[in-house]
Amino acid sequence: MDYSAAPGLTGAIPAVKTGVKRKLNVTELFTVKSLRVLKPYMFLLPALLILGFWLYKPLINTFYYSFTKWTMLPGTKPEPVGFANYLKLFGSKDFGTAVKNTGFYIVMLLPFSVVIPLILANVTNSMKGRMKNVYRALFFFPMIMAGVSTATIFRWLLNPGTGLVNILLNKTGIIDGSISFFTQEETAKWAILLITGWKMIGFSTVIFSAALTGTDKSYYEAASLDGSRKVRKFFDFTVPLISPTILFMVMMSILFASQWTFAYIDILTNGGPYGTSTNIYYEMYKYGFSSMNVGMSSAAANLFLAVFGVIAAVLTTVSKKLAFYDN
Amino acid sequence: MKKLIVLLLAAALMFTVFAGCGGNTASSGGATPPSKAPDKIPANDSPATALDPNNPVTITFYSYSLSYPTMRPGMEHLINNFNETTGKEKGVFVKAIEDDTMGKYQTDIAAGEQVNVIQHAFSVLDMSKENLGLQAYEDIFPSGELSEHISHMYENAVELGKIDGKTYALAFTFSTPILYINGALFEAAGLDPNEPPETWDEVAAYAKRIYESTGKPGFALSPQNGWTTEGLFFSNGANILNSDRTEAMFASPEGIEAMEMWQELYHSGAHALGSDSEVSEQFMSGNAGMLIQSTSMLSGIKAGAEAGGWKLYGAEMPAFGDKPAVPVNSGSALAVRSSSELENLAIWEFIKYVTGPEGYTIITSEIGYLPLNKDIVSDPQYLKPFVDENPIIATNLRQLERLRPVTIWPAENALELRQIFADAITKAITTGNDAGEVLTEAQEQMNALLK
Repeated sequence: MDYSAAPGLTGAIPAVKTGVKRKLNVTELFTVKSLRVLKPYMFLLPALLILGFWLYKPLINTFYYSFTKWTMLPGTKPEPVGFANYLKLFGSKDFGTAVKNTGFYIVMLLPFSVVIPLILANVTNSMKGRMKNVYRALFFFPMIMAGVSTATIFRWLLNPGTGLVNILLNKTGIIDGSISFFTQEETAKWAILLITGWKMIGFSTVIFSAALTGTDKSYYEAASLDGSRKVRKFFDFTVPLISPTILFMVMMSILFASQWTFAYIDILTNGGPYGTSTNIYYEMYKYGFSSMNVGMSSAAANLFLAVFGVIAAVLTTVSKKLAFYDN
Repeated sequence: MKKLIVLLLAAALMFTVFAGCGGNTASSGGATPPSKAPDKIPANDSPATALDPNNPVTITFYSYSLSYPTMRPGMEHLINNFNETTGKEKGVFVKAIEDDTMGKYQTDIAAGEQVNVIQHAFSVLDMSKENLGLQAYEDIFPSGELSEHISHMYENAVELGKIDGKTYALAFTFSTPILYINGALFEAAGLDPNEPPETWDEVAAYAKRIYESTGKPGFALSPQNGWTTEGLFFSNGANILNSDRTEAMFASPEGIEAMEMWQELYHSGAHALGSDSEVSEQFMSGNAGMLIQSTSMLSGIKAGAEAGGWKLYGAEMPAFGDKPAVPVNSGSALAVRSSSELENLAIWEFIKYVTGPEGYTIITSEIGYLPLNKDIVSDPQYLKPFVDENPIIATNLRQLERLRPVTIWPAENALELRQIFADAITKAITTGNDAGEVLTEAQEQMNALLK
């Protein structure tokens, strides 16, 4: 778009500068000239107000509530309690496990959100005609299914008595007896991870496929002429060419792993057995909404924000260094 | 001029943003009222102090039973029946709101919505009385009618809703855990479903026999059942907390003995594994011989039995040796909030109906909760035909006499305490750890919080 065609906009920018240098008196404020000074801000105002009201005000409130004790009920007021919420949070039985599990889910989700989709996208990309889209649609299918339905179906599949998985494992003689996937410490976390991962594969595959479509084919043609092998082409061209997308998915996966696992933890294990499959998001929800303890919930939210803020900052820097833009 | 328009537009936009935030939305969201409700609740502030059928008063009823598929049809039927009969006659319309989190009433009160009648759990009643402006029945309802109505109900049930001598909630839906039995599996194992096991030793022996002859687990009780476990402690003479709720004491020799028994049964191979919903699903699909579960699940379990073509039997909760079994109760009471004389009258009509003969006939026969009205069980006009046909209800009523309410956790750390207890039970039963050590450790953690 050619912005020079909008005279009001281009004219406003120098006016801001002069406005800063020279103070306006009251009468001047209402002159048409001074409106020009305010104009860019007027354009920004709606967005700023919406952002301020829905994002920054709650953020500041959360910070404040984390130092109070409050149940959100009418007629009650937050009472200040200092750092008590933070101390209680660090001392609570499941907090340590929740932090460890958050790490577990982040690391273990990466194969599902990056490695497997990258392979799938690459394989389908070299397919011809309609099959390409059929496969991609199949991979994407889990993503459009509602989380709650997915959880219910997996609960049936993995039911210790009547579930298909247990029946198959028994028939093939792999196990004797049954596995209660969601109530055993050894399996609960993994079951949550696999279900979340299964759902994520499709999304990432579609993102990577889109990135692959945009790559320049001439590199591959040149390499083929030189007799380069497929694996070599994948690592030498594909990975660098779509590196911005890969880094984006890595960042998404790290930052959202806790949210993506949340629904399944809530429906399938409630964080159990004995708190071994919980993550920090679920703990936050438990404090905030099961016990209406706004203080504890806000304290957990603030910690979460601080830690993930740092992670996001580090990842953005890393991604600027590693990403390769082909243009 | 153009600039002025821009300025005005910006101002208008700003105004809409704030107006949008402050505006009170009339809809209560999520819930679909069982019958057609007026779009907006009319303000009940008319000066009249008598109900008028031509100008009905709308009150709201927050019910968690509406969010359970097994209970929803019965509860909807109850509310619709009221609206179509007594409600229409007297001039009261009840708008039903599904409270799937059992906390929607709190958030709606916080948001300033009209919340009149709440299906409320006993364990947090004291907290709601303090924070939510619940009113005592004695303060807002006609005293003569109130005492007459209550005299027809089971006294020990009504007592549970009293705080400082006043009724802050009236017992509504009550259930006890009972032992459900799959007749077909019993017979397949050469057992007689009319001779159910009475002690835990028998339960273990029967379960083993069912497992050996059918390959299906003989007994099911999820360690994550939420409340039934307490009945096992009580039945073996143990307590969860001391009487003034300042000390946890479940890791007593009796408590540990009860859990060791269960742990052994759980690992015997004859016990169904899984969460509460998983083991219930197994039983309902005919894949477990016995299940301990709330009577409120009766309608769902019966449907499962009919679909699977097997006969359902029920028995009282098993005992430890010759000590009497002590089942716990779970259930709800009706708490009320009213803002006018007229609402008082409207709410009272609804309460009288749902806790009266018509109400309990529907509640018992269509949902499975206990009839808390004493007279209707033997009355052929109401429940007698149903009780004759479903002896499980009689089982349930016999248990009512020995009932003990579930532990009410001290408000300050209620969630943490409940969680530590529940986690300790799961760990003690499902793992090979020493049950005594697990329980003692949890008891120490809880006592540190209770100090």
